[in-house]
Amino acid sequence: MHSESTAAQVIFGWSAAWVASAIFVAVYVMVVTEKLNRAIVALLGAGLMILGGVLTQEAAIRGIDFNTIGLLLGMMVIVGITGKCGVFQFVAIWSAKKVNAHPMGVLVMLSIVTAVISAFLDNVTTVLLIVPVTLLITEELKVKPYPFLISEVVFSNIGGTATLIGDPPNIMIGSAVGLTFNDFVINLTPAILVVMAATLVPVYLLWRKELVTTDAAREKVMRFNDREAITDARLLKQAVGVLACVISAFVFARFLHLEPATIAMFGAAALLLLDNFQRDAEHQSKNVHHAFAEVEWVTLIFFLGLFILVHGLETSGVIARMAHALLAATGGDRNVTVIAILWGSAFLSAFIDNIPFVATMIPLIKSMAPTFGGAHALLPLWWALSLGACLGGNGTLIGASANLVVAGMAERAGQPIRFMAYLKSCFLLMVLSVAVCHVYLWLRYL
Amino acid sequence: MTVKDLLNPHPVTITLEETFGGALKILLERHIRALPVLDSAGIYRGMFYLYDLWELLLPKAATLEGANVTDLSFMPGSLEELREKTLAAGPRSVIEFLKDKEAPAIHPETSVKEAILMLYHHDGVLPVVEKKTRRFLGILTPWEILNRLHDKE
Repeated sequence: MHSESTAAQVIFGWSAAWVASAIFVAVYVMVVTEKLNRAIVALLGAGLMILGGVLTQEAAIRGIDFNTIGLLLGMMVIVGITGKCGVFQFVAIWSAKKVNAHPMGVLVMLSIVTAVISAFLDNVTTVLLIVPVTLLITEELKVKPYPFLISEVVFSNIGGTATLIGDPPNIMIGSAVGLTFNDFVINLTPAILVVMAATLVPVYLLWRKELVTTDAAREKVMRFNDREAITDARLLKQAVGVLACVISAFVFARFLHLEPATIAMFGAAALLLLDNFQRDAEHQSKNVHHAFAEVEWVTLIFFLGLFILVHGLETSGVIARMAHALLAATGGDRNVTVIAILWGSAFLSAFIDNIPFVATMIPLIKSMAPTFGGAHALLPLWWALSLGACLGGNGTLIGASANLVVAGMAERAGQPIRFMAYLKSCFLLMVLSVAVCHVYLWLRYL
Repeated sequence: MTVKDLLNPHPVTITLEETFGGALKILLERHIRALPVLDSAGIYRGMFYLYDLWELLLPKAATLEGANVTDLSFMPGSLEELREKTLAAGPRSVIEFLKDKEAPAIHPETSVKEAILMLYHHDGVLPVVEKKTRRFLGILTPWEILNRLHDKE
């Protein structure tokens, strides 16, 4: 465990564990307080792990999970290109019309659409695509967009939990543990379907009285021409084709012996090729530049830094000590540990970024394998971590990136979402969803 | 050459008391696209643009920063509906529509190349103000520059 850290020389002969812990805690504090951009903080922290002598550069690079980075990068490129053709606007308008533009029906439909899209795409991208159409529809319906936006935030975080590629914590867990797309679908999707159904009940009770409109306003939405929302039919066919192939490849990944990053990156390359086929050099240059400009580099750089930081903790033995402490607290009982991870992850993720939290928890849980009888016995712990960390993001307005993105858009649209107002309605929704998962985990695995 | 040599010192202006409807009427009558808004002391307070009308007529989401709405062909609209919206906004004060950030003011000492660069980016009307006091001195539009270029030919 300590081989990589001993190759480096820790400054002033200090303990590698202390130096790594100090750097990690400082980074965590900076990320939580948001005084500095999180990519800057993670990169600085990663640099200090090397400069402080906890890791060598080679060890730091070995710590980076390029499978996660590749999967995120590939999917970001695919989504960026797909978003240009208007397919998401089409789906949103089509679904609103399917319920005859009744506000509550629209809210339910858009929430479900958001959850389904979030299961396959990044949550922030999903809300960025759905929220503008929602604002267009609610303006025509003359109803407050607030309940719609809140519900979409909540359902994007719920839907993202359902699959390997829906939320960064799942990508990280899947990559680190070798869990496939199908493993997530078989183990998490059923829980998420129940959570969705359970969450719709309080959503209905909370906002049913506010969602009233006139027949004339509904008629305006019914006149929307959903087919006109498709702005590029050629690109639509290409993007849907590539997305279908990519998702099929995820499903058959084990059979094909392919890692998720290969699938996503190859899918991105294929879509770039199709989108630029037979176009002149200038057009290609512009298109490719635009496609890569859509990538959230800040997130990717944050991941890079974080992987190095966690690797520093791991190689210096801090993670092993934390795992011992957690096991001591739960009495070494696997069932208690699963439930503790579920609720602990949820409450912590409601207030802090779930990505660094999950990055820390992965090696910690891995190190529990000998105690619980091997890697297979850890499966419920991974599901508990995923469910807790992803759903916990719904607890507060700062719990997940999608929440903050929607809050920003709502504010610019003159419909600010306040921290306390969000907390009042959504913290209970989060507790409800985690309680459903508690029962699910108990019945299925414990 | 600086902006001092090019500016139009006597453009049509309005005061902070003007209404949205009143300002629109002036734009229509004069066939111009923007009106500098001054307070009672002659200090420049912002620009009222024809663009403000487009912003009023479009759904909020379409003009929202970061929303990336580039196509509204799926949304039908009638002239009657747009007229109603315009009439309803008529009594509102122009103050509500002022967005100084969109067209930063220039000064008499600003070089002509810098002014052309700003027109290139903003394609509209640049207010010319005194640097320290922001006292309004005039405007610079593409027409002032075109006229001077034409004079020399």
